[in-house]
Amino acid sequence: MGVLVEAKNLYLGYKNEPVIKNANFKVYTKDFVFLTGVSGSGKTTIIKSLYGEVPVLRGSLNVGGIELNGVKKSKISYLRKYLGVVFQDYKLIPEWSVLKNVMLPMLIAGIDKQTAENEAVKLLNKVKLSHKLDKYPAELSGGEQQRAAIARAIIHDPVMILADEPISGLDEYSANLVMDLFIMANREKDITIMIASHSLPQTFNIEYRQIHLEKGQVYELS
Amino acid sequence: MSSLKSHFALIAALVSILISIFLFRLFNDILYRYQQNILNNYSIVIVSEKKITHLDLKEINSIEKIDISKQLNYMKKKFKNIDLSAIKMPYFYKLKLKTMPSPKRLNEIEEYLKSFPSIKRVLTYSSSQTKIYNLLMLLKITSKLFMVIIAVLGFLLIVKQLEVWKLEHNERMYIMELFGAPFWFRGAALFKIAFIDSILALITTFGTIYYMLHSYMYKAVISDLNIQVGLDLKKEALILFVISISISLISSVIVVIGRNR
Repeated sequence: MGVLVEAKNLYLGYKNEPVIKNANFKVYTKDFVFLTGVSGSGKTTIIKSLYGEVPVLRGSLNVGGIELNGVKKSKISYLRKYLGVVFQDYKLIPEWSVLKNVMLPMLIAGIDKQTAENEAVKLLNKVKLSHKLDKYPAELSGGEQQRAAIARAIIHDPVMILADEPISGLDEYSANLVMDLFIMANREKDITIMIASHSLPQTFNIEYRQIHLEKGQVYELS
Repeated sequence: MSSLKSHFALIAALVSILISIFLFRLFNDILYRYQQNILNNYSIVIVSEKKITHLDLKEINSIEKIDISKQLNYMKKKFKNIDLSAIKMPYFYKLKLKTMPSPKRLNEIEEYLKSFPSIKRVLTYSSSQTKIYNLLMLLKITSKLFMVIIAVLGFLLIVKQLEVWKLEHNERMYIMELFGAPFWFRGAALFKIAFIDSILALITTFGTIYYMLHSYMYKAVISDLNIQVGLDLKKEALILFVISISISLISSVIVVIGRNR
């Protein structure tokens, strides 16, 4: 397995105030990684830095061969086309239908509308939302919105999915469905998965790695 | 409903700017033609002992000799005991001007003409000319000020609209940015709104202009001034179209670039 993410002596934070100090870790292709830690430990900061939203203060952060320390904005846009992001608050476009939301990454990639639509319909079938294609996000439950968000994150076959607290706030049934989708993406599509979560799931039957954050320090536990 | 409001705000702002620009151009044209009308009927009269073919004044359009044979014949008949052929008659000239000089410039022209020893009299009719000049200047300044105020209000409305757009479109553009959407993709919805609204604003503006140009009051004023308005409406439509599209597209580009992070 090749190295997809490599952090060396990494400092991350906002306005020169480091949240993550001197971090060193690696993520390999096809990895399933849990980024754990209490609230405020810097999980979101790391996830955001991986898609270029939080700048690197010091050190090196390499994602898919792109060095993010001092990276140009155009390179960040390029990198994001190869990533899928999932958020706790779903971040679906409220004025777009579920189908159009899922099509978004393919449309950005310049794929024709019909192909994107066919692919989105297939995926929405897989995430058990085929009956909600024309609904707007506000008409869906939290679990349904998160499944739509995952479908959007995997539709363009990204190299890696970054998910920030994707199951917090969901009931157990929805949370399990969402985790199954991540597993499916990892197993069937070989997508590297990195999930920020305050704790590990109770039952989880695939091999995974854990990177733990505590007081701004990063520990690779497995 | 809020979307309709948003459209209406931009269209209203664009219409006010477009109408102010059109009225500014129309007033300028009317004033220019009215000025030309006055200039056609106005001239400086000079009486000179010598023939004049050229004067070094940039305002002079032509020097026309005044034919006084009629007056001479009349005098010959009336004063039979006077031998007019023994009297050397001066030359009378009308100086036609290209532009309407200010009262100050008219005085300078008068002084310049009087500086020639051969020129014995200069009649500028300055008091009536000054009144007309001042009236035209007042109209020009008032109309300019009025148009500028309307245009500024229009721009303020657009600035307000930019703030509304930022709030309305910020979330969608942010999500698109997270997936690496290029600039044109993020702004596509706004560019579409901007284009449609500028077309609607243009139609509304031309409707208003058409109504104004065909109104009884406008026709009566133009006929009283005895002028022909020279604005080409097709050319004006093109100018207003370019201005309308430019303003709305620049506004939407500002929103896309200045998206709040």
